[in-house]
Amino acid sequence: MNGVAKLFRSQVIGPLLALLLAVVIVSLTTNRFMTGQNLSNVMLQVSSVAIAAIGATLVILGGGIDLSSGAIVALTACVGAILIKTNGLPVWLGIALLLLLGAGLGFVNGFLSTYGRIPSFIVTLATMGVIRGLAFLITGGTPIMSVSKDLEPLFYGSFLGLPLPLIYVIVLYVLTFIFLRYTIAGRAIYAVGGNESAARLSGVRVNQTRLVTFVLAGTMSALAGVLTMARLNSGSPNYGVGTELQAIAAAVIGGASLAGGHGNIISTLFGALTVAVVQNGLNLNIVPAAWQDITLGAIIVLAVGLDMWRASISQRTSKIFDLFVPRRSPPKPASGERMQPER
Amino acid sequence: MMDTPTSPPLWELRDIKKSFYGTQALKGVSFTARRGEIHALLGENGSGKSTLIKCLAGVHQPDSGEMLLNGRPVTFHHPMEARAHGVATIFQEFSLVPTLTVAENIFLGRQPRRSTRLIDWDTMRVETARVLQPLEIQLDPEAIVKNLSVAEQQLVEIAKAISLESTLLIMDEPTAALGLAETERLLRLIKRLAAQGKAVVYISHRLDEVFEVADIVTVLKDGNRIATRPIHELKMGDVVKMMVGVDIEQHYPKIHHTNPTPCLEVEGLSTANGVHDVSFTINAGEVFGLGGMVGSGRTEIARALFGLDRWTAGKVRLFGREVQFKSPAEAINNGVGLIPENRKADGLFFNFEAPRNITISRLAEMLRGPFLNPMREMQAGQQYVSKLSITPTALEKSVKFLSGGNQQKVVIARWLFSQARLLILDEPTQGIDVGAKLDVYHVINELTGLGISILLISSDYPELLAMSDRVAVVRDGHILHIAEAGRLNEYELLAIASGAETGSQPPTAAG
Repeated sequence: MNGVAKLFRSQVIGPLLALLLAVVIVSLTTNRFMTGQNLSNVMLQVSSVAIAAIGATLVILGGGIDLSSGAIVALTACVGAILIKTNGLPVWLGIALLLLLGAGLGFVNGFLSTYGRIPSFIVTLATMGVIRGLAFLITGGTPIMSVSKDLEPLFYGSFLGLPLPLIYVIVLYVLTFIFLRYTIAGRAIYAVGGNESAARLSGVRVNQTRLVTFVLAGTMSALAGVLTMARLNSGSPNYGVGTELQAIAAAVIGGASLAGGHGNIISTLFGALTVAVVQNGLNLNIVPAAWQDITLGAIIVLAVGLDMWRASISQRTSKIFDLFVPRRSPPKPASGERMQPER
Repeated sequence: MMDTPTSPPLWELRDIKKSFYGTQALKGVSFTARRGEIHALLGENGSGKSTLIKCLAGVHQPDSGEMLLNGRPVTFHHPMEARAHGVATIFQEFSLVPTLTVAENIFLGRQPRRSTRLIDWDTMRVETARVLQPLEIQLDPEAIVKNLSVAEQQLVEIAKAISLESTLLIMDEPTAALGLAETERLLRLIKRLAAQGKAVVYISHRLDEVFEVADIVTVLKDGNRIATRPIHELKMGDVVKMMVGVDIEQHYPKIHHTNPTPCLEVEGLSTANGVHDVSFTINAGEVFGLGGMVGSGRTEIARALFGLDRWTAGKVRLFGREVQFKSPAEAINNGVGLIPENRKADGLFFNFEAPRNITISRLAEMLRGPFLNPMREMQAGQQYVSKLSITPTALEKSVKFLSGGNQQKVVIARWLFSQARLLILDEPTQGIDVGAKLDVYHVINELTGLGISILLISSDYPELLAMSDRVAVVRDGHILHIAEAGRLNEYELLAIASGAETGSQPPTAAG
């Protein structure tokens, strides 16, 4: 479809180039990167962050920010471990309750930052602390191991030869793509992020729309928590540390504007992959964990900086895209004729 | 306070010209300010008053002409230079930091220091009292500015200007936000300042005040100086006539489409936001104009009818059905649309191209099943872009890149698309060029031809009177007078709106 091609030309190409650049640099520094085993590892590792990044993107598109996703990952993993291991709930029921928990926490974030009129940065900074504190409280600070033997297949299984986490990520990104592009609620998010006042005057329910982004973000973070719990078959209050930073980095590298209204979910996926590739490269080169955090921080600053000069950059990258896919728009004189009003 | 024609001018502006983007805002205006004299600068919106004082304040640089201070020519490249030459300007927007104290605000950026380079708070307090005392301003130097009333903040603003050792004080609508008693107090202060030898340039829409305080009056119209006369030679009516002037016959393509079915009936509507007991009726296909000064409450009436402000009293019926709007969404669903005054800040989505800007108010129409259909949106976009002769690039590019006129038409297209039956237009032609204005007039005719009713707010009185079927004059959130547009002239409208004349006749009913 023409519109989708245009989206790729104008918005997706930049993050894709960022990903390719990361891949090239990492492959040059180590020959252990481009192996099937390693790439599939990267794919598995990225799944949690990629899913949390969906939530981060939705909130950022609506003009807010969510810092609590890492804490929600920890709390859902801990609550899940307790429900399933200690209380003996069936895995499916436990997961359903965890998603509800995530939605509820997102609701609190959204409610306080819209109807409560507290900036979302502050609200989620506070709930980040509260939620992780709760995770420590209910576990007493000790991880809960070997939750259930039914959990691991949810992460390590495969379907039609594809690892399940990859399928989860693809399905969720496709759903989000459809939601943002083809539903009224998705359009409302862009409208609210683009111009809150104009949105209100156009009949968009601004608070409600923002609330939805936070509820969805909470749910996505809970999903990321469930995946982490399944991968490690355990729950620990130390899970998900830094997830919020990686998720926001993914969205921002993907071109989402922190001012709201600009960004798309496909680019976020490339952003998440870029973050994962960089981290993997640092791991393979045995860079200490502290330096990994520093690198991620630097990347975020770089990505936001690029966002500030976005206009000129996207012009240039779309020219690069033109080299591969020629434009099909009609030549200028043809559109000029349509321009003349009948007077 | 007598004028002293013999005293030499402090400031003399000679033949000042200034144009913006091809529009000549000042076409050679001369102006003089003398010590001890209060000089009122009058004119309708867009007559060039603000451009003139902004030249004097160093905000704009004249294209040609001379500015003489005590007979010596000066040029300003920056407001700070004007300030250094003793020009203090008090604009309508305050320049105070609300969280700081009175003293801190007055000495902002030039706090007295001790030898240790730390702020000398004692001196600052004493100095503040010394500034306030001769002005007979009773304010605590330690009071936080945001806790003061608007009037008191105004006084702080003036005190700050005075403390800068200024010789010329320019005041742009200083009483716009003040009540009667506060206005009186301010006018006394201004007289006192003049008596102390300051030159004062006073801009106000309220002629009664001007006649109370000014020594001399200069009237501007369309960038020309109409007259400069001592106030005692003038009557209020003369001034209004000069402000209105004889317009070069402008063609307004008005077509009357009113039919007798009432569209909107408002009865005793009041809001917490300054609308008091407003009643009127708009018929289907009628353009109902709201005239009045900036800040008279016209926009507040519009906000109320669009569900933006809470109603405290009154009844509103739309096509005979009683309605109560608690949100714009409810107003829109009932067929009301609003085109805000500030289309950039409140009207447009710069992250969207024209089609998504247009369809936002009625997205449900674009659904196929549960999903939006981008092809249909593009078609709707194309339809309205060609209907309103918006540039076709609007289909592909962000509306950020469109001209003001095209942007305005995109907002109009949004409400055509949403099939609004009552459209509120707040200053629809402000800041757009003549061609685009004509397009807006044609659109108004087209809309009323479709039976759509329009509530038109415009500070361009000739336009308001020409394009409306009936006009209501608003002052202090209340409708003073309703008349058929043809039976009201600009002079009467301005006279009622400015308080020079009260709406003597009782509001007439719909014709």
